[in-house]
Amino acid sequence: MAKKNTAQAPLTPAVLHILLALSTGERHGYGIMKQAEADSQGRTKMGPGTLYGSMGRMMESGLIRESDKRVDPEMDDERRIYYELTDAGRAALEAELKRYRGVVAVAEGRLAHGH
Amino acid sequence: MATNVAGRRYRTWYAMLLRLYPRPFRERFGEGMAQTFHDVCREHRDAGRGLFGLALWIFFETSVGIVRENTTHIVRETTHMSQLGKTTLRVALGALVVLMVPLVASQVVEGWNWPPGAFVRVYVLFFGTGMAYALIARKMGAWSYKAGVAVALVAGFALGWSTMVQTADSGHPERLWYLSVLVVGFIGACLARLKAPGLAVTLFAMAATLALIAVMLPSGAPPDMARRMAIGHGVFVVLFTTSGLMFRHASFAGCRPGR
Repeated sequence: MAKKNTAQAPLTPAVLHILLALSTGERHGYGIMKQAEADSQGRTKMGPGTLYGSMGRMMESGLIRESDKRVDPEMDDERRIYYELTDAGRAALEAELKRYRGVVAVAEGRLAHGH
Repeated sequence: MATNVAGRRYRTWYAMLLRLYPRPFRERFGEGMAQTFHDVCREHRDAGRGLFGLALWIFFETSVGIVRENTTHIVRETTHMSQLGKTTLRVALGALVVLMVPLVASQVVEGWNWPPGAFVRVYVLFFGTGMAYALIARKMGAWSYKAGVAVALVAGFALGWSTMVQTADSGHPERLWYLSVLVVGFIGACLARLKAPGLAVTLFAMAATLALIAVMLPSGAPPDMARRMAIGHGVFVVLFTTSGLMFRHASFAGCRPGR
C-alpha cells in the first residue's frame, strides 16, 4: 500500500502519544498504553480499540512497524508482539513537535502583548 | 477468587467481541488486543480494584472501534469493486477494438468468411486474455512480472489459436496435444499461486513440454512445411523461456504478489 505523507498533517492525540511512547524504543501494546498514560500524567487513557485501530492506520502510513514477538522479562512468560518507529514515524513526530513549538511561540507572544 | 472468575469470563466475552472486527484486522491485531485486555485486567486485579467498570469501558471503547473498522473495510471493498468494474469496462472496450481487425479484414480479404459465432468466440478469447492480464499483473508492481505475464499470455493465446485453426484445417486431432502445454501452464500457475518463483518454473516447464511434443509428434508434413513448423515451435519455446526468465528476474527482486 502506498505510504501517505503524514509528516505535515496534524496528528491525533492517540497517534501523537503512540509515537511518543515508541520514541524511546520498542514496546508491545500494553507497554504503549501504559507509557501514553504516564506521558500524559493520566489524562490520556486509550483502550485496546483506540490503540490498535490507530496503530493499524499508522502501520499503513508507514509510521510504525512490527518489530518481533518475544517475552517481556518484566511480565509473564507470554510472547508479545513489539512495535517500533520507522524513519517516517520519527520525522512525523519531529514535525508535530515543531508545529507545537510554533503554536506555543505565537500564543506566548500574544499573551505577552496582552498584558 | 471471585475476581479471577470474573476476569476469565470477561476475557471470554472480549474474545467473542473481537470476532466482530473485519477479518484482516482481527488476524493482524486480535491476539495482541486480547493480550492487552488480559494485561489491563490483571493490573486492576493486582491493585485490588474491581473489573466491572473497566470491562464495561473497554467493551464500549472496543465496540466503537469495531464500527469504525467495519466502516473503513466496507468503504475499501466498495472502492476496490468500482476499480474492478472500470478495469472490466476498459478490457471489454479494448477487446472490441482488437476485434475490429478481423471484422474489417473479413470485409476486404477474399476468402475470409467467418460465421458470426466465430467473432463471438474470438471476442471472448480477447476479453479473457485481457482480463487475465489485468487481474494477474495487478498482483505485483515489478515491471518484469508484468512483462512476464504479458509474454506468457500472448504466447499462450497464439499457441491455442494456431492449434485450433491447424487442427480444424488439417484434420489431425493429434495436434490437440499442443493444448497440453496450456494445461501445464494453468496447473502450474494455480500451484504457484501466481508467485513469481513458481511461475518461472511453470513457464520453463511449458517450454520443455512444447519442445518434447514437437520432437515426439510426427508432423507428416512436406519438408518445406516441416521447416516452417520447426521455426514456429522454436519461436514459442523462446517466448515461454523469455517469460520464465522475466518471472525469475521478478523473484530475484524479492517481490511477491500483493506487495
